Amino acid sequence: MRKGKKGKHVLSLLTVMALIATLIGCGSSESSSSSSSTDSAGQEKLKKITIFQSKVEITEKLENVVKKYTEETGNEAEVWGAAGDNYGTQLQMKLTSNQGPSIFSIGTGTEAEKFKSYFYDMSNEEYVKNIAPNMALEINGKIVGVPYGVEGYGLVYSKEMVDPSEVKDLDSFSKTLEKFKAEGINGLALSQEGYFLIGHIINTPFALQPDYQDYIEKLNNGEVKMSETKEFQEFAKFMDAIKSYVKNPLEIKYDTQMGDFATGKTAMVHQGNWSYSMLKDYGDFGSKIGLMPFPLAGNDKLTVGVASNWVINGTADADEIKAANAFLDWLFNSETGKSTIVNDFQFIPAMTNIEAGDLDPLSEAVYEATKSGKTLPTANNYFPAGIIMNDLAPAAQEYFLSKDMTGEQFLQKLDEVWAKASK
Amino acid sequence: MKKRKDKLWFVLFTFPLLFIFTTVVIMPFIFGIAYSFVKWDGIPANPKVFVGLDNFIQLFKDERFLSSAWHTVKFTVMAVISVNVLGLAFSLFVTTKLRVRNVARTLFFMPNLIGGLILGYIWQFIFTDVFGYLGQSTGLDGIFFNWLLDPQYALYAIVIVFTWQVAGYTMIIYIAGLQGIPDELVEAAKVDGANVWHRLTKITLPLLMPAFTICLFLTLSGAFKIYDVNLSMTRGGPNNATEMFAMNIYNEIFAYGNYGLGQAKAVIFFLVVAAFTLTQVVMTKKREVQY
Repeated sequence: MRKGKKGKHVLSLLTVMALIATLIGCGSSESSSSSSSTDSAGQEKLKKITIFQSKVEITEKLENVVKKYTEETGNEAEVWGAAGDNYGTQLQMKLTSNQGPSIFSIGTGTEAEKFKSYFYDMSNEEYVKNIAPNMALEINGKIVGVPYGVEGYGLVYSKEMVDPSEVKDLDSFSKTLEKFKAEGINGLALSQEGYFLIGHIINTPFALQPDYQDYIEKLNNGEVKMSETKEFQEFAKFMDAIKSYVKNPLEIKYDTQMGDFATGKTAMVHQGNWSYSMLKDYGDFGSKIGLMPFPLAGNDKLTVGVASNWVINGTADADEIKAANAFLDWLFNSETGKSTIVNDFQFIPAMTNIEAGDLDPLSEAVYEATKSGKTLPTANNYFPAGIIMNDLAPAAQEYFLSKDMTGEQFLQKLDEVWAKASK
Repeated sequence: MKKRKDKLWFVLFTFPLLFIFTTVVIMPFIFGIAYSFVKWDGIPANPKVFVGLDNFIQLFKDERFLSSAWHTVKFTVMAVISVNVLGLAFSLFVTTKLRVRNVARTLFFMPNLIGGLILGYIWQFIFTDVFGYLGQSTGLDGIFFNWLLDPQYALYAIVIVFTWQVAGYTMIIYIAGLQGIPDELVEAAKVDGANVWHRLTKITLPLLMPAFTICLFLTLSGAFKIYDVNLSMTRGGPNNATEMFAMNIYNEIFAYGNYGLGQAKAVIFFLVVAAFTLTQVVMTKKREVQY
């Protein structure tokens, strides 16, 4: 009898222990699942890497190139879907929970500054040697990122509908929009996404300042006001023209924006060369479209900057970093990789060892502008982190939704939210 | 000896649950409270500075937070009423002797099986594109316009979607309550000459109080904590007019990078939800009757 009881105790104790074991087992396998699945073949295979990046346009092509990479080298990589507007926050969550990707993309400026503790120092790697002058992402004198490529934006227009010589200043710009409104065509489309609504278009008045970094600094300290700066006052008038003559941008999404443009319902869109990949689905636009400067204060330059940068997660383990380096080396030095960058991604290369490929008309315009030096810098890289999505976009929404808000009041609102955000 | 054995079984069965509950609820909760006294941007490599109660003082000066609290309260009041009225109506409908009652049950419950995110995207399409189209083709553009671009209507839109999602679930609970009411009572009332209205208000509803307690609790806390539908429908827009509590906290932490302040908000959020739901449970419990 007694013995039997004791046996039962042992049994239940064993069960408890087994349970604990499974629980612990669960816990540990979960935390390591993201980084595991390495070489089971036993060959000299590098650890599987993960890639997370912000450009929605190249996601599919990146997945394809990763397949080619696996075919050519036998090493594996996985692309995590792109997050678009939410990229920054998602990246932060992944990194801080130690489930970060091996390679990720990061914008130059405040975004890079925020995540700098995660960057791997690439200074001694082979592939950084070919980066064009002043294009590498550097922090404290160390090269930490390779540029995707150069990209630029302005007014993308249909050559059949718009004559660039009629969009040269505020007057002609307003008249053109008015004319299209009378014809029942949307003259200019912005779209509801934060960057396409305000982030890109507001870059122009900033970039036109004699020293834009200094101006942003002063704006952060409250020493200057947008509503008291000449370029911004003109910008407000442009926004008023847009508000009164075109369809409410908040009703338009990026894909409808490009779709309507492709089908001739819209004459112009404020977009960049990346948007050509959306147009391509509608047919060949060869020489039918062009890219011209946003004519603020007579501006005749396109905005051009580094699209984004590839960086390696420095907190990953050594094997993973090694594999990530191998991938970037392959991407920037192998024939397949190089051709992918220019032909599939349609990037304008920022590397000296990669020739520009067969460029689409928009990229061609950006490339020409870069060569002739007729470019404006991307000042919005130096805005306080996250301000476009968090503060400027809601202000722009208010502006486009409220019937009586004038451009001037919009500027004051922008000043107000800027002051809050830069505290 | 017997007692010891019971205890062992007790431990065996409670330990797994206790372990999970401690690691995923209690510990994060305590960490969260600790972080609310700290100024930190959420990146492990950067310093955490102890600031005492500063975060709590700051959040009461945060206009965006206060207005988001007000939106949440408005939303919750509307949502709790509409969900429960509709859920109760559904349950009364499907417990009648109608032929379609089984099909109706399934259909009413179905939206609950769709995740909030997907549901939000479906309805976003309806409110923006379908409504716009209807407005154009019928000329009723006073009703059919893009609801999600109007600060007031965007909130109503979220109430509608939330109701659509949750009403079927509360229906199930009300059905269980209705089926628990003994037939003798209803028949006795009939014999005594009570009409349908009297039977509903004097017999059915009082005996349904336990179901009310559960349903109100679930919808109240669910509506306060709403995030997924909010995110997929409006992302808090236009101009932050539909930014609810949970989204405001998320934005404070991940968009602005104020981890401590966001945690302080979360603590306040917890207290508010706890206060509201506890009051409700105590109030409705008191009204539960025995037969």
